[in-house]
Amino acid sequence: MKKYIYILAIGTLCAWSCTKDSEFLDREPTQLLPQDQVFASESLALSVLADLYNRYYDFGTVEDWSTLSNFNVAFWSENGRAGAFENNEYGYGDWGTWDYAYIREINLFLERCAASTELAEPIKTRFLAEARFLRASYYFELVKRMGGVPLILETEEYDFSGDASYLRHPRETEAAIYDFIIAECEAIKEQLPTDANSKSRATKGAVLAMESRAALYAGSIARYGENTPQVSLPGNEVGIPSSRATDYYTIALQSAETIIDGTAGAYSLYTKKPELDDNFASIFYDKANNPEAIFVEDYQLQSGKVHGFSIANQPRFGAEEEEGGRINPSLNLVQSFETLDGDYAPLPNEDGVGNPIYYDNIGDIFEGRDARLAGTVILPGSSFKGKPVDIWAGYQLADGSIVSGDARGQQKTLPGASSATQVVGFDGPINGLEFTAQTGFYIRKYMDPKAGSGQRGVQSDVWFIRYRYAEVLLNAAEAAFELGQPDLAASYMNQVRARAGITSELMGSDISFDRIVHERYVELAFEGHFFYDMKRWRLAHLILNGVPIDETGITENIGVATKVHTQPYGFWPYKIYDPGNANDGKYIYKIVRPIKVTGADRFQFGNYYSAIGQDIINNNPKIVKNPNQ
Amino acid sequence: MKTFFNKLLHIPLLVVILFNVVSYGQQPLVTVSGQVKSQEDAMPLPGSSILLKGGSTGVVADFDGNYEIEVPADGTLIFSYIGFQKQEVAINGQTQINVELREDTQALEEAVVIGYTTQDRKSITGAISTISSEDLENVHAGATISSGLAGKLPGVSFRMADGRPGASASIQIRNMGTPLYVIDGIQQDEGQFNNLSPNDISSISVLKDASAAIYGVRAANGVVVVTTKRGRKGSRNTVNINSYIGWQNWSRFPNTVNDSYKWMLGKAEAEVNQFGTTAITPEELEKYRVGEEMGYQSFNWRDFIIKKDAPLTNINVSATGGSEKINYYLSATQLKQESVLGPEFTFERSNIQSNVDADISDRLKIGVQINGRIETRDNPGIPGADDYWLPRFAILRNRPFERPYANDNPEYLNDIGHNETNWALHNKKIGGYATDIWRVMQTNFSGEYVLPFIDGLKVKGMYSYYIADRVLNGHEYTYEAYTYDEENDAYNVTGGSTNPWRERRTQKIMKNVYQGQVQYNGQFGDHSIEGLFVVERQDQRDQEQWVHSVPETNSLPLIYFSNTDAYDDRDDQEARIGYIGRLSYNYKDIYYLEGSARRDASWKFAPDKRVGVFPSVSAGWRLTNEEFMKRILGDSSVLYDLKLRASYGILGDDNIGIGPYDYLPGYNYNQGVAILDGNPIIASRDKGQIIDNISWFKSKITDIGVDFYLFDGKLSGSYDYFYRERTGLRGRKYDILIPNELGYGLPEENVNSDAQSGFEGALAYSGKIGNVTMNVSANASYSRGKFISSYKPIFNNSYDEYRNSLEGRYNNIFWGYTSIGQFQSQEEINSYPVDIDGRGNSTLLPGDLIYKDLNQDGKIDGYDEAPIGYGTPFGYVARQPLINYGLSLSLAYKGFDFTADFSGGSGYSFNQEWETRNPYQNEGALNEIFLDRWHREDPFDVNSPWVAGKYPPLRFNNGGHSSYNKNSTFWLHNVKYLRARTIEIGYSLPKGLTEKLRIQKARFYVNGYNLFSIDNLSKFGIDPEINDTNGLQYPQNKFVNVGINLSL
Repeated sequence: MKKYIYILAIGTLCAWSCTKDSEFLDREPTQLLPQDQVFASESLALSVLADLYNRYYDFGTVEDWSTLSNFNVAFWSENGRAGAFENNEYGYGDWGTWDYAYIREINLFLERCAASTELAEPIKTRFLAEARFLRASYYFELVKRMGGVPLILETEEYDFSGDASYLRHPRETEAAIYDFIIAECEAIKEQLPTDANSKSRATKGAVLAMESRAALYAGSIARYGENTPQVSLPGNEVGIPSSRATDYYTIALQSAETIIDGTAGAYSLYTKKPELDDNFASIFYDKANNPEAIFVEDYQLQSGKVHGFSIANQPRFGAEEEEGGRINPSLNLVQSFETLDGDYAPLPNEDGVGNPIYYDNIGDIFEGRDARLAGTVILPGSSFKGKPVDIWAGYQLADGSIVSGDARGQQKTLPGASSATQVVGFDGPINGLEFTAQTGFYIRKYMDPKAGSGQRGVQSDVWFIRYRYAEVLLNAAEAAFELGQPDLAASYMNQVRARAGITSELMGSDISFDRIVHERYVELAFEGHFFYDMKRWRLAHLILNGVPIDETGITENIGVATKVHTQPYGFWPYKIYDPGNANDGKYIYKIVRPIKVTGADRFQFGNYYSAIGQDIINNNPKIVKNPNQ
Repeated sequence: MKTFFNKLLHIPLLVVILFNVVSYGQQPLVTVSGQVKSQEDAMPLPGSSILLKGGSTGVVADFDGNYEIEVPADGTLIFSYIGFQKQEVAINGQTQINVELREDTQALEEAVVIGYTTQDRKSITGAISTISSEDLENVHAGATISSGLAGKLPGVSFRMADGRPGASASIQIRNMGTPLYVIDGIQQDEGQFNNLSPNDISSISVLKDASAAIYGVRAANGVVVVTTKRGRKGSRNTVNINSYIGWQNWSRFPNTVNDSYKWMLGKAEAEVNQFGTTAITPEELEKYRVGEEMGYQSFNWRDFIIKKDAPLTNINVSATGGSEKINYYLSATQLKQESVLGPEFTFERSNIQSNVDADISDRLKIGVQINGRIETRDNPGIPGADDYWLPRFAILRNRPFERPYANDNPEYLNDIGHNETNWALHNKKIGGYATDIWRVMQTNFSGEYVLPFIDGLKVKGMYSYYIADRVLNGHEYTYEAYTYDEENDAYNVTGGSTNPWRERRTQKIMKNVYQGQVQYNGQFGDHSIEGLFVVERQDQRDQEQWVHSVPETNSLPLIYFSNTDAYDDRDDQEARIGYIGRLSYNYKDIYYLEGSARRDASWKFAPDKRVGVFPSVSAGWRLTNEEFMKRILGDSSVLYDLKLRASYGILGDDNIGIGPYDYLPGYNYNQGVAILDGNPIIASRDKGQIIDNISWFKSKITDIGVDFYLFDGKLSGSYDYFYRERTGLRGRKYDILIPNELGYGLPEENVNSDAQSGFEGALAYSGKIGNVTMNVSANASYSRGKFISSYKPIFNNSYDEYRNSLEGRYNNIFWGYTSIGQFQSQEEINSYPVDIDGRGNSTLLPGDLIYKDLNQDGKIDGYDEAPIGYGTPFGYVARQPLINYGLSLSLAYKGFDFTADFSGGSGYSFNQEWETRNPYQNEGALNEIFLDRWHREDPFDVNSPWVAGKYPPLRFNNGGHSSYNKNSTFWLHNVKYLRARTIEIGYSLPKGLTEKLRIQKARFYVNGYNLFSIDNLSKFGIDPEINDTNGLQYPQNKFVNVGINLSL
C-alpha cells in the first residue's frame, strides 16, 4: 500500500509542476514591442521617433570632442591622439557615411505611421513631418560628405528571387540631393509648429534654418566649384553647374530672412548677460528662454542622457576628476579674433624690433579683443567654475634660460632662493604632457559651469546647438553678398559683430569673400562648420596644403581666407625671475609649436568627397566612385 | 496533448512489457555469512558490498567486514569494495564464504562517472579522463577548482592568465571552447564549478568525445562531470579536518627603473634621439644623481605597493559515515585569500555541503543534497571597472621622483598629477570600498525506486532548485590631494576628485531542474544490456538591477532617491527540454557497443527551429579477453589488458551568437533616451530583419583510442586521436549581392564550418621498489583548430584572398613583420635601400629594427606582413596553449610521502606591447628591460659613438616610431614553458602513535606551488601564462603552504 502512496505522491508532484513542452519553452521577452502596438499609441510612436532623433548625424558634437575641434583649430592634448599631428594626409575614406539602415528606418516609420488608423490626425501630421525633416537632414549630411547619393524614399524588400538588380539605384546628382532637401523643407515647414521654445524637435524655424544652410552650400559649390574643376564627375554626382548659384543663394537668403523677420517664431540674438564674453559662452549652456537656439541636441541630468564634454575638456587643474584639458585651441584661431576696433592684429608679445613686451598681469595681452575670444577660449589669467586657471610655462631667468618642470605644478628651487617654489602652472603647458594646455589655451564653448559637470557619475547636460540665429544672420549675409547686395550683407553681419563688442560698423564696401570666411570662422568655431565651409568654398586644399608653418606664417595674413592652417601653434606665458629688476614677476609670451606637432596636414582633391567603400560598389555596380581617389 | 507526466509514465510501461519475459524462477534460499578482508594486509573491509549476481539482493559488511545474506543456493555472490577488484564466488550450497579481495591497482573496476550514470573503467568506450579527490587534495594553487587542474588531465588545456584572489584558470577540453559543467547531475556554469570546495569533490570526469553527446545542446565543447562525496553505508563515523596556511608572492612582474637619475638620463637620451636636443642639462642630471634635494630623490613604488607573503588560509571539517539504511557526508569549508596588494584586497568563501541518502525500503531510496556558499570579494574602491588594475598600473605609471605623500607626511596624499595611480589613495580610508558578495544555495531531492516484477529495472527522479543572490556595493570617495608649500610650511589642495561614485548591483538567478530516469540492467548469459531513458527540463531566470548615485558624503552607506541618476533593470529567462536514451551492450567483456540519442529543445530559436537530435555511437574491443589472445599470451602478464575503442557523435550548441528573441519582429524598447522638449523619452528601435532560419550548429566528433595495461597492470596508458567538425556556423550566403542602399543585409544562416583536431596520450606507472611505493605519470595533448569553409567567399583581389581568407587555414594566425636585425651604424642606415619608416629612414638610428621587405617594393608597409605566430588574445580572452603536458611523480616510504607535479604548454604567442614595448609608456616609469638598449656613449653629444644593446635606442613615450609601431618577430614570442606545480613532502604519524592518540590518521605536510618556471618569457619579467600584452596582468602566485590532515 505504502509504495502506491509514494508513486501517487511523486506522480502528483510531477503533474503539478509540468506543462506542455512548447509552453515551457515559450518565454516572454521583456523589452520587445509588437509593431501594431507601437503605432496605436502616441507615446510609443514618439518613442520610435526619439530613436530617430538620437541617431541624427553631426560632424562632431559634444559627444565627439575630437571631430568638433579638428583641422588644427585646436591641438588634442591626449597621448593617444598625438598621431593626428604626426601624419600629413587624410584617408580618402575619412568622414564617410552611408547609413541606409537609418534611412530605411525613417521610411518604415513614415509608412507605418501613415498607415496607422489610431493616431490622431494632427499628431500624425507632425510626426510625419518630423520624420521627413530627419530624413532630409541625413541626406544633407550624405551630400556634404559623399556628394550625390541614391535617393531612397520608400522601403524596398529583397524577394529572394536570385536577382537583386531591381534594387540597384544610381547616384543622383549633387544638385538633385540639394533640390530634394529644399523641396522637403518647403513641403513640411507649414506642418510643423511655429514655436521658438521647442528646441529639440523639428519646428518651422529648424526647417528654414536647414533650408537656408543647404541652399547656401549648394550655391557656394556651384560658384566656387569652378576653381576646382578636378573635383567633379561627368554625371554631376559631384559638382553643381555654376549657372545654378544665383537660384540657390536666393533661396538661402529668403529662408534666412523668413526667420529674421520673425514669421518662424521669436528668434533673436542672445543678449542676456552684461559681460559680453560671458554672454557669448552662455548661448551654449543657458537653456532658459534662449532666443538664439533654433534646433539642438538636448541632454538632461539624471535622465540617462548626459555627456562628458566637460570631463574631457575642462581645465585639468581643479577638475572634479583626474581628467580634462583635451581640446587646446590653437594660436591660429585665437589671434584671428579682431580687436574691438575691428582690426586684424597678432597678439602683441614683441615690439617692432623683436624685444619681448612685459605684462604686469598674465591676461593683459588679451585685453581689447573681440568678446567671442574669451567666450570661446579659456585664456591664461581667466577663471573657470570660480577657480583661476593656472596656465604658465615656467620662469625665464635673467640670462634667458628657462626653469620649468616635468609635472603639473612642479616645484624647484630657483637660483638664490632658499626653498622650492612652483615653477610651472598646474595646467601646464608642459611640452608633450597630455591634458595640460599645450597651446596655452583650453576651450570654453560648451563648457558646463555647473559644479559636478566634470564628475563621471554626473556629467553634463549642456546642449549641442545645431542651428542658431547668428548662423542664420551669417547665412543671410553671405547669400546677400553673393547676390550683389553688400549693404544688406553688412547690416546682417554688423548685428553679429555688435553682440561681440566690436565698435566699428562694416560698410557695404567692407564686405568681401575673406570677410565672410573670417566671420564664420570666429563666430562658429567648434560648431562643426569649419570643415564643410572649407570644402564648399573649395579652400581646403589651399589652407591645408601640407606645408609646415613657421612663426611668421602664424602672425601674418590674419583674416585672409587662404591663410595656411596646416599645424596648430601655441602661445606660452612665462614669468620673469630676476630679483631686483623692474621686470621681475612680469609676464612675457612666446609662440611655440607643440612638440608633438611634427606633420603638416595636406588635404587632397580626393578628400573633398569621402570615398565610397569597395563593398558598397561591389554590391551595387551602378555606384560611381568619387573623383581623384 | 501529452504532458510531461504522461510521457514519463509511458516509458516504464513500455520497458515493463519488453522485459517482462526475463523474470527468474523461484529457488530455495540459504543464509550465507562470512568476512571480507584485504588480501594484502588481511585487514577487514568494513562497508564492502555483497551482491547477488543478476539480482537486486545485496548487503553491506559491518565494521569488521562481516556479512550475512539470504540468497538462492545456486546463486553467485559478487564481493566488491572501492579500490579492490571485484570477486565472484558461486555459492554452491556453502553457508560460510570468506573472501580476500585483491587491491585493484589497475583501477579497471573503478567506477567512472559518465553521462547520468557510472560505468566500470574497463567497459568505457568513450574518451573520458578522470581525476579523483586524492589527485586534487594536494594542490594548493589558489581559491578555485580550475586553478588546480594544470597538467592533471590529458586533453584538458590550461591557462591561468590572472592570479588575483579568487581567480580561476581557463580550462578547455581539447581547446574546443568553454565546456559544459555538470555537478551532481545538474548542468551548471564555470563559476559554480570553480567555487565548489575542493575537499567536497569525489571525482571529476571529463567527457571529451561523443560520450558528451548525451548532454546534447550545450555539450559541443565537451563536458566536465563532477561528483561530490557521499558517505558509505555501514561505515564508521569519521571526522576529517584538513587545514593549511599558505604564503603567496607574485611569480613575475615587470621591474622598473627605480633610480630617478637613470630615469632622467634615459629621458635625455630619448629626447636627443628624437629631436637632437634635450632641455635636461647635465647639471640638472647631477642633482638627480645626488638625489637629496626635494624633487630629485628616488622612490621605489613597487616595494611600496607590493607586500610579501600574502596569506591564504583554508580549513575544512567534514563528517562522514553511515548506518545500514542511511549514509551521510557533511562538510564545511572556510577559505580566505589575501592579495599581495595587502590585507584590504581579499577573497573569502564559505562552503557547506550536505549529502544524505536513505533507504526507505528495500526498493525505495531517497537522497537530499544541499550545498551552499558565500563568496565575498572585498577591496578598496578604486576608479575604473577593475579595482585591481590601477595599483598594478601604478608600478609602471609612477615615476621614481614622484612620492606618495606630500612632504613625506602620511597625513597628506601627494598631488602627483595623476593621482588615480597614487597607491596612497588605494585603501578603504581615502579611496572607498567595493564589496561583491554571492550567496548561493542549491538543493537536490532525488528518489530511486526499484520496480518489482522486473529485475534490474528502476526509476529515478530528481528535482533541483538553485538560487544565487549577488549584492555588489561600491563607493569611490571624493578625496583631496595636496602640494606642500615649503616656504610657508603649508599643505595646499591642488588636486583630487570631487566625484563620489556609489553603485549597487543586485542580481538573482533561479534555476529549476526536473529529471526523470528509467534504468535497466540485465544479464543474459554472456550478454549484458544496460538501458537508460531520461527526461530533463531546466529553466532559469536571471534578474539584475543596477543603481548609481552621487552621494553628498563619503561616510553614509545608503543610497537616496534624489541622488540617484541611473537605474538599469534586466529580467532574462532560459528554458530547455531534453529527452535522452542510451543503450549499452557488452558481450563477455570483450565487445562493447553503446548508442545514445538526445532530443533537445531550446527556447532560443524560432518555434519550428527549436528541436535538435544528437545521436552518438561508440564501440570497444577488449582484445585481451579474447580466447585466442589468452592463448597467445599464456601466463605472461606483460600485456595485461588492451582495449581499442572508437566513437562518433553529433553534439550541439545553441550558443550560436544570436539573442533569444531574434526570431520575433517588433521594436526593441529602451534603446537609449532622447530629450524632446525637455522630457526624457525612452527610445525604441525597429529590430530589423528577424532571424528565424537559424538553429543549432552541429559538432561532429570522431575519436579513436586505445587503453592498455602492461606488466601486471603496473604500467597503464591510453592514446586518443580526435577530429571535430562543426557545421552550420553562422555565415551569409553571398550568391546575391544586395545593395547596401536596401538598408538591411541578408539574414545569416547556418553555412560555415570549422574543425578541431589533435591527439593526446597518457602513461602511468605504479609500483614498488623495496619499501618505496612509486607512482609516475605523464600526459601530453595537442589540439588545433582550423576554419574549413564559408559560403562562397568573395575576395576583391588575390592579395585580399591571401591576407584575409580563412578558408582551410588554421585559426588565429598572427600577422606581423619579420625583423631581420638591427641597424649597426648610421652609414648602414644611410645606404639602406628599403624605406623602413615611411620617411626615407630619416627617423632611424643605430639599433632600430630592420624589417624584411617581403614584396620587394622598396618600402615597408602592410603588404610586408606575414604569419609570424599564433593568435594572441582575442579581446580579453586568453588563447589556450595548443600543446599541453603534465608530469607527476609521487613516492611513499613508511610515513613519508613526496609529490612533484609539473605542467607546461606551448603553441601560443605573447606580443610585447605598451609598457613592455614602448619606453616611457604614458610618460611613466621605465621598464627595466630597456636598460639594455642602443645608446650613445655621451647622451648629450650626438656625435659620440654608439654602444650596442638589445633594444632599439630610447624614444620618450613615442609608440609611433617604426621600431615600435609594428608587430614583428622582435616583439612576438612563441611561448614554451614547463612549470613546477605541486612539490610536497608529507609525514604521517605511525599507526602505533595514532592509536594511542585515538585518532585514525594524522598527516603534516609542506607544500610549494608554482615555485619555478622554465620558459622563454622570464627575460621580460613576464609570467608565461599572462594574457595582457602590457605585461601588467595580475600574475599567478608562488605558494608555500603548510598543512595538516586529521581523521578522528
